[in-house]
Amino acid sequence: MSFLYCLNPEKHKLRKWREDNHRNSEQIVDVGEELINEHASKLGDDIWIIYEQVMIAALDCSRDDLAWTCLQELKRQFPGSQRVKRLAGMRLEALEKYEDANKQYDSILQDDPTNTAARKRKISILKAQGKSAEAIRELNEYLEQFVGDQEAWHELSELYINEHDYGKAAFCLEELMMTNPHNHLYCEQYAEVKYTQGGLENLELSRKYFAQALKLNNRNMRALFGLYMSASHIAASPKVNATVKKANVKYATWATNQINRAYQLAGRGTKENKCSVKAVEEMLESITMS
Amino acid sequence: LSYFCLFHSGAYCKMLLHAAKYPHCAVNGLLVAEKQKEKKKDSHSTPILCVDCIPLFHGTLALAPMLEVALTLIDTWCKENKYVIAGYYQANERTKDFRPNQFAEKVGARIAENFSEAAMIMVDSTRFTMGCYEPILTIYDHHENKWKCRDCNADCFEDWCEAQKITSALLEGRSYESLIDFDNHLDDLRNDWTNPEINKSVLHLC
Repeated sequence: MSFLYCLNPEKHKLRKWREDNHRNSEQIVDVGEELINEHASKLGDDIWIIYEQVMIAALDCSRDDLAWTCLQELKRQFPGSQRVKRLAGMRLEALEKYEDANKQYDSILQDDPTNTAARKRKISILKAQGKSAEAIRELNEYLEQFVGDQEAWHELSELYINEHDYGKAAFCLEELMMTNPHNHLYCEQYAEVKYTQGGLENLELSRKYFAQALKLNNRNMRALFGLYMSASHIAASPKVNATVKKANVKYATWATNQINRAYQLAGRGTKENKCSVKAVEEMLESITMS
Repeated sequence: LSYFCLFHSGAYCKMLLHAAKYPHCAVNGLLVAEKQKEKKKDSHSTPILCVDCIPLFHGTLALAPMLEVALTLIDTWCKENKYVIAGYYQANERTKDFRPNQFAEKVGARIAENFSEAAMIMVDSTRFTMGCYEPILTIYDHHENKWKCRDCNADCFEDWCEAQKITSALLEGRSYESLIDFDNHLDDLRNDWTNPEINKSVLHLC
């Protein structure tokens, strides 16, 4: 009985990593490989999902031996499964056999044209091959059909950011904010994109959305810093009138105080923290002087 | 006018640890050098020693606000330590893609505004091995608003053998798991982007 009990922490770790979608592949391989090799018979039905998780992690770590073993077990247990076919495709991708991988995914799509996983893998292949424009085009087509796929919208926003197409990236994040109004991360990322786009209007929008992100999560440091930066830039702009300037100085000052507090709460008075606090103070001085 | 920078082992090692921690992401960061006391007319004789590396971000790099925050804070830290931001490194998301993109050039140019001998460094992940048999960087110098490529070999290091030994040892020991970049710091302010623990490990191995 005590031996069975020992397995639970490892199983629990793997489950938590699955649920959080952590890509800590080396750790997954470490824990998972041992579980599979030593304790397979005691894992019950959990073993299949563990094989899948470990296989994907093994691909990440170039452990084709381990990935192959997991794949064989899954093929044996679930012959003809689309899900396992996709895993076989991923292994081909890891080996950079993109043509074979595409054939695999195309065969899945022939049987099941609505298989979103296979479509997304095909787009990943385009990304891996550096074909950004095509990946973007395919992803847009995909989203016309599967408009609720948040992961896809987020992926598209990242593709646009990498192409410096900030306007379109903002559009994707707007979709995400509409369907997830309480998600502080989307607000904050949207604000970052607007800030990067530049110009007074976008800066003001970015400030608003940094503030919104903070309302949703007052510990989001990026939002706090972002609020400071956007408000400071607005206050320093020659295009704003005295009222707007005053208001933004107020926002920036508030943000600085919050940042200082956050560092003090976190700090053990380390040299680095003192520097950060000092830098923040210097930043504040530079606005009030102008 | 030719000038060159030498890499201290710790600086090289942290760049590679950063790339190793996030093999599926683009990563970037800054290199700092000791501030020169006087500007000598003949720059040939004084190579710039890149003494440290500050890992910045992983994942989506091309956004401005957090980069500005990092540059400002690290600039203050540099002033306290008589350092200057001397370079920028980047490893792209795709292994085979080791050329600098528009974003890398922009950041490099920004650093060059404050430090004319600034270098832009690209990490070539295709040659990344645990044994670190060769330097895997490509260095770009800023010449007349253009970036000119320069090969990186053992001569670019203060002590290449030492850099190789230390980097390889820390990779084997998975020290990259505890490497902190500025993104990690923003996630939790207690995370120290100066990486004192890794600095200690480097000193022990010297």
